[in-house]
Amino acid sequence: MSTAVFAVGILALSACSGGGGGGDSADGRGDITIWYSNNESEVAWGKQMVEAWNADNPDEQISGQEIPAGTSSEEVIGAAITAGNAPCLIYNTAPAAVGQFEKQGGLVDLSSMDDGADYIEERSGDLAEQYQNTEGAYFQMPWKSNPVVIFYNKDMFTAAGLDAENPALSTYDDFLATSRTLVESGVAPNAILPAPTSEFFQTQFDFYPLYAAATGGTQIVEDGEATFADEAGYEVAEFWATMYEEGLSGREQAQGDAFADEDAAMAIVGPWAVSVYDSVNWGSVPVPTSEGISAEETWTFSDAKNVGLYSACDNQATAWDVLKFSTSEEQDGQLVELTGQMPLRENLQETYADYFEANPAYTAFGDQASRTVEVPPGPNTVQMLQAFRDAWSESVIFGEGDVRESLDAVATEVTEIAQQP
Amino acid sequence: MTDRTMSKFQVRLRGTVLAIGALVFLFPFYYMVIGSLQTEPDPTVAGAFPNPGNLTGENYVAINERINLFQGLVNSGIFTGGVLIGTMVFGLLVGYALAQLQWRGRGATFALALLVQVVPFQLLIIPLYVLIARDYGLSDNYLGMILPFFINSAAVIIFRQYFLQLPKELFEAARIDGAGELALLWRIALPLVRPAIITVVLLTFIGPWNEFLWPFLITKDAALQPLAVSLANYISNVAASAANPFGATLAGAVVLAGPVVLLFIFFQRYFISNDIGSGVKG
Amino acid sequence: MTAIATPPGTPGSPAPETGGKRSRRDSRGAPGGTNRRGRPLGRNPIGLLFSAPYLVFVGLIFAYPLGYSVWISFHDFFFTAPGAEVDRPFVGLDNFATALGDSAVRQSFVNVGVFLIINVPLTVVLSMVLATALNKVVRFRTFLRVSFYLPYVAASVAIVAVWIFLFNGSGLVNQVLGPLAPDPSWLISSVWAMPTIALFVTWKGLGFYILLYLAALQAVPKELYESASTDGAGAIRTFFSVTVPGVRPATVLVLLLATVTGANLFTEPYLLTGGGGPNGASASPVLIMYQKGLQQGQPDVAAAIGVILVVLVLIIAYLQNRFAGERD
Repeated sequence: MSTAVFAVGILALSACSGGGGGGDSADGRGDITIWYSNNESEVAWGKQMVEAWNADNPDEQISGQEIPAGTSSEEVIGAAITAGNAPCLIYNTAPAAVGQFEKQGGLVDLSSMDDGADYIEERSGDLAEQYQNTEGAYFQMPWKSNPVVIFYNKDMFTAAGLDAENPALSTYDDFLATSRTLVESGVAPNAILPAPTSEFFQTQFDFYPLYAAATGGTQIVEDGEATFADEAGYEVAEFWATMYEEGLSGREQAQGDAFADEDAAMAIVGPWAVSVYDSVNWGSVPVPTSEGISAEETWTFSDAKNVGLYSACDNQATAWDVLKFSTSEEQDGQLVELTGQMPLRENLQETYADYFEANPAYTAFGDQASRTVEVPPGPNTVQMLQAFRDAWSESVIFGEGDVRESLDAVATEVTEIAQQP
Repeated sequence: MTDRTMSKFQVRLRGTVLAIGALVFLFPFYYMVIGSLQTEPDPTVAGAFPNPGNLTGENYVAINERINLFQGLVNSGIFTGGVLIGTMVFGLLVGYALAQLQWRGRGATFALALLVQVVPFQLLIIPLYVLIARDYGLSDNYLGMILPFFINSAAVIIFRQYFLQLPKELFEAARIDGAGELALLWRIALPLVRPAIITVVLLTFIGPWNEFLWPFLITKDAALQPLAVSLANYISNVAASAANPFGATLAGAVVLAGPVVLLFIFFQRYFISNDIGSGVKG
Repeated sequence: MTAIATPPGTPGSPAPETGGKRSRRDSRGAPGGTNRRGRPLGRNPIGLLFSAPYLVFVGLIFAYPLGYSVWISFHDFFFTAPGAEVDRPFVGLDNFATALGDSAVRQSFVNVGVFLIINVPLTVVLSMVLATALNKVVRFRTFLRVSFYLPYVAASVAIVAVWIFLFNGSGLVNQVLGPLAPDPSWLISSVWAMPTIALFVTWKGLGFYILLYLAALQAVPKELYESASTDGAGAIRTFFSVTVPGVRPATVLVLLLATVTGANLFTEPYLLTGGGGPNGASASPVLIMYQKGLQQGQPDVAAAIGVILVVLVLIIAYLQNRFAGERD
């Protein structure tokens, strides 16, 4: 073994080989490569967008490729950044990972484009601000959101003797009472089944939407301090702890989609899921709050996916043009049409009035999209979310230890992480 | 012949144990096939039996519509074939050298093979990717896909172990007769470790056939991606939006496992010797 | 029994103690001390030639990433795009301290220890017994062998789905067990999650180890069985006095491979228990490494965890080889 260790030692010496590259590609024009998400509807959108652009720009052609939509997309992007072969644009950049990619030197500051910040703010309005880094620069183009709401199965509600058109789901107490009725009547094994697993991003689909609603859009970390160990945070955590404790939400992961498979009477998810739910007679309401505020005032988590312009790109001028083209009013319209996801654009409902008229079910999402909160920025977002998730799993899902103490403890930890460089 | 040492009862007991074992091993696969043919998932005991009212080929049709199965199969074949060739040729040579030859650096080489085996792939993946994609320029290329797996270190360790079991006297005698080492390996050693070869072929085959993350990282061009990549993608992302997500997932699993199982059934008789004890005769 | 355990070595039969053979041979080679000096590359320098492709391969593919990872573990490091100028100071053992100071990391090492304690002995015993039984079977041999190899052949991604379906709260296993089913169910019970994963991995890998043993059994000379039979030994006594010592080299190998593969446990907790749940009870060191290195942008701490793991596994492998291995 000593020989092996020796071999390692020798090789470590040659390990520091950095890479050259770089060069001034900010003004470059020519062919570019883009990646888009691999779910069916986004592939359809991506293909038509590429076709539309290529038809008009014979000298600046796009070639589009699919990358996985799941957790592994961040690994793929991270590896590509390090190897210097990332594509020009990725239409599936998770805001939680942007800080890391920026720290790695993988992303281009869009504010450095002449019309960069103006274009972004003009399109997205006030919501754009959450997508700045701590210095106020945009390393991501806010693209589309999937405002998280509560979906419910109208047939199950009717079967349980509940009002399916005006379900009592606005306050925590109502929500609990309705959940008890659903489970006790035996129409569904679970009232609602958010993923009880330990991946960092699951926090975005149980705690965060309710916390955003309870606080009118407060991020879980603001100005480098964890905010969630407050009365609103405690109440949200206790609400979910009750759901788990009373068996209204299962502690076990569903196979497939619990709501579509009628394993749960409700789901907490964004409008992307509508296409999955075509077999269900569903309705949707905003997430609950302790007092039950009106839908027009309710905030939620955005579940946004954005576009990054990557520094490995040789033809950044073309890439920026493509970015603007693909987030134009016309292409955003295609996005709504083809995917049912909400472009992060002001006045959605006025701009696409025809669509919302034809699809009234989406109106609520279009309205909700204007009140969404994002994960905190910075290079340590994932680490904070993971720390939170671990504590949540222990005290809320599995009921071990005091919920408030656990939130207090993890708030201290998250603040420490947030203040790391 | 060894049954002489066993009573009737023991033979029967052995049969029963094996049958129960086989059942335990086969059942999940049976369940996988049944599940992949169901219109609606059925977790009850009755669901373990085919129910004509709940059978459909829809889950397979859905995969076929989304994935170019033939291209994936060809890519998997090239990827796996490359690794098999590398391991069977070069791995065999090292295994033999480690077991039967005396040379400087033998201990270190074995330690290295062990080390490669011990290090988790997740530790190496980004530096490895940078090395192969940037320094060797092999992204979107079959060679880049094959390279990290080209010689399987576990196979080297296994070859060594089986060559170690062979009596040295056999080789000493042949060497005195003036046979070269390659001839020794080919004519004497190889025939004696035939059972070990199926083991290594299987081990080597499985790795690249089922590998997902690496070929995915190194190829973004869908036309180059092996079946495991497209199916794992399908299972983790697309299946959830299928009519019966569970059935769709299982159908993906069946498609991925199917070719290997068929290949294995087809080839296994060439490798497993039927005559007990024929392996080594003095 | 003793008579059988030390059988009269038929000429050319591979005695179980290969190590003994080798040491005899080494002592034969030793007088050639002058000989060795005359041949600086050893008695059979062609061995180096045979190994050259492999050594080049390891040098090209593993040496750099591995050396790089070890280097990372001693520095304040994160991956950057080519050309990005970043200060990466040497921090000594800081990353190791951070890793070991994290209770999740410590728990993951305990978890994988539990895993190994269940998985390795189970693998060795079951695969040896099943291989011995399979070796003698005449009827249905192909069918039986294929059924035992099947789980090994199929991809984890594929079979995990079936296991979840079988072992979830309302799954078939619990339906069959009825009131005996554990609550909380298998994969979400902090007591049962790791054993269930260990069972899954044993089940999945067993076919391969059976194959290893079957190959080894072909090399046990049948004369030994015949003399055992002449001595009137029953099947069980023959198993312990002929088979077990006869396949010892394979046992060493199975121990080694099962330990090494088990220590690198990743896919199963990642897929079966949704990232190491419940509550970290099934998180493995490699899973934590993956979370820290690839998701959370802390490749330095991840590399430190990896180095600790590799060192621990090498120590275990050394001990196994020392006590179960080729005795001198």
